[in-house]
Amino acid sequence: MVENRPLANILTHAVLILGVFFLCFPVWMALVASTHGPEAMARAPIPLWFGDQGLANYREILSGGVAHAGGVPVGKMMLNSLLMALGITFGKIAVSLLAAFAIVYFRFPFRMGFFWMIFVTLMLPVEVRILPTYDVMVKLGMLNTWSGLIVPLIASATATFLFRQFFLTIPDELVEAARIDRAGPMRFFWDILLPLSRTNIAAIFIILFIYGWNQYLWPLIITNDEDLYTVVMGISRMVNAGESRPVWHLIMATSVLAMLPPVLVVLAMQRLFVKGLVETEK
Amino acid sequence: MAHLSLKSLTKVYPGNVTAVEAADLDVADGEFVVLVGPSGCGKSTMLRMIAGLERITSGTLKIDDKVVNDVEPGHRNIAMVFQNYALYPHMSVRRNMAYGLKNEGKPKAEIEARINEAAQMLRLTEYLDRKPRQLSGGQRQRVAMGRAIVRQPAVFLFDEPLSNLDAKLRTELRAELKALHDRLRGTFVYVTHDQVEAMSLADRIVVMNAGRIEQIGAPIALYSRPETRFVAEFIGSPAMNFVEGVLGEGGAVLVSEGREVLQFDRPIGLAGSGFVVGLRPEHMKPSKGGFARLRFRRVFDEQLGADTLIHGTLDSGPTRVILRVDGALHLPDAERLEVGVAREHLHLFDPKTGLRIDT
Repeated sequence: MVENRPLANILTHAVLILGVFFLCFPVWMALVASTHGPEAMARAPIPLWFGDQGLANYREILSGGVAHAGGVPVGKMMLNSLLMALGITFGKIAVSLLAAFAIVYFRFPFRMGFFWMIFVTLMLPVEVRILPTYDVMVKLGMLNTWSGLIVPLIASATATFLFRQFFLTIPDELVEAARIDRAGPMRFFWDILLPLSRTNIAAIFIILFIYGWNQYLWPLIITNDEDLYTVVMGISRMVNAGESRPVWHLIMATSVLAMLPPVLVVLAMQRLFVKGLVETEK
Repeated sequence: MAHLSLKSLTKVYPGNVTAVEAADLDVADGEFVVLVGPSGCGKSTMLRMIAGLERITSGTLKIDDKVVNDVEPGHRNIAMVFQNYALYPHMSVRRNMAYGLKNEGKPKAEIEARINEAAQMLRLTEYLDRKPRQLSGGQRQRVAMGRAIVRQPAVFLFDEPLSNLDAKLRTELRAELKALHDRLRGTFVYVTHDQVEAMSLADRIVVMNAGRIEQIGAPIALYSRPETRFVAEFIGSPAMNFVEGVLGEGGAVLVSEGREVLQFDRPIGLAGSGFVVGLRPEHMKPSKGGFARLRFRRVFDEQLGADTLIHGTLDSGPTRVILRVDGALHLPDAERLEVGVAREHLHLFDPKTGLRIDT
């Protein structure tokens, strides 16, 4: 569409810039706050430009840990978050790839029934089934364990559905050619289906990694062992630190650190991500 | 190399749809057999049953005297070339060809040797490290053939391999395929809907219609002695003309709805009420002579260079007729033409059963 209406142009740009401002301002504030001393954030006016405490703040949270948050060093919590996010991501991708593979390529009784059962769980958010899940975890003795943290979040209807849709676009002849080339089902999966799904896997990896990284409610109820605290939980504990005043400069520094891994993942996989969402290579 | 044998092979799809009905066929070692027919006639289903991609409902399929009804496609010792190439898009040409051999557990050196030989045969050597998407349609199909050749299968199966290519390339590849068969002396089963392809490639053609085999024979036999009206119509281009009627007045004239449509030199000596007379466009001569004569109303000419197709109808009715004459022949600009056909070029069929009637 080629249009030349200056007024409309100005208006749309104004709206977009306003949107960018609203999106970026909190991030900016977090960056700024993380470089000031403890007092700056409690005083009006709140500073809008960087202070000189940045290095000291980051050193403090990375080494000692914040006493209000149980004294767990942020580095440790970041590592926990990373392990959990990666566990959830890889687990989800593995399970949903296999589930989609079964649903698309095998004929078994109630195949569509199973598919719809998986699909229906899309409509139930984690919060709705959190109590029964917790109950199951207690009975299995999985409280305060890595598997308790990760396994319940692994089943993914969304990823299963996306992979199913992708598998359906792969021509039947390819499957048949593989059968004639003496490739059994699992060999077909490894040698052909998986390489072809590469870009889709990358796209889903990003989405799931961020989902896993940002998990809050489930880690909160399944763990009370400080060794398993994740960084999102840590931030929340710092904020609700009982009587004492929240240490905003440290909270913000932690937040900035917590933002980094998802940003890095997106930057690293951006090209594949876009490719996976727009193009189907056949 | 092997012998292939089908005994009353039948495929019934759920919902009682019969795709192939009791097909009997024997393919000799080194023979090039083409299955041909209109879409939905069951030719592809038959090929897929041979390949093992479609379960056989009943009947037996033997490759080299071994029943393979329940053998997985990979273990039937066959290779197949698909219409849309079905190359693995993420593998190089070399790996595409190697994949089947790797799965068979062949040693690396042998795989390499076979690929190099096939690549040379198909002029693909310089493309071995490319991905399929960097190749043209003709090259991709050659890769698919290469993938089949390296397997050194007992039977080669082709499912309309040239249908996705443009006309010029199709002619080229057709010649290559024929040369390939002469060189490998393999047993080829080839499916196509294009009767020209069938005629030019086949040692024997199997014409299929509505799930049944209509006729099996050498190309020239099908052309000169079609056993059914369907085969007569299907083989040859443009298709055979048909004139329907009953014999009148001593059997020397064919009458339809009270009007004479065809006159014969002498009675054709057949009893019976009605006949369908088949006349090939290329056998109809615009002249007053000939054993059978008809009056033709010309509608338009189609000049193809070497030939000219004259479209029109019978003068006596709406039956459509096409004449094929030499492109250099200058016909008078008349609307009505006298057309004659020699005795040996008449094909007679029963209007009810469609079977050939011998005279």
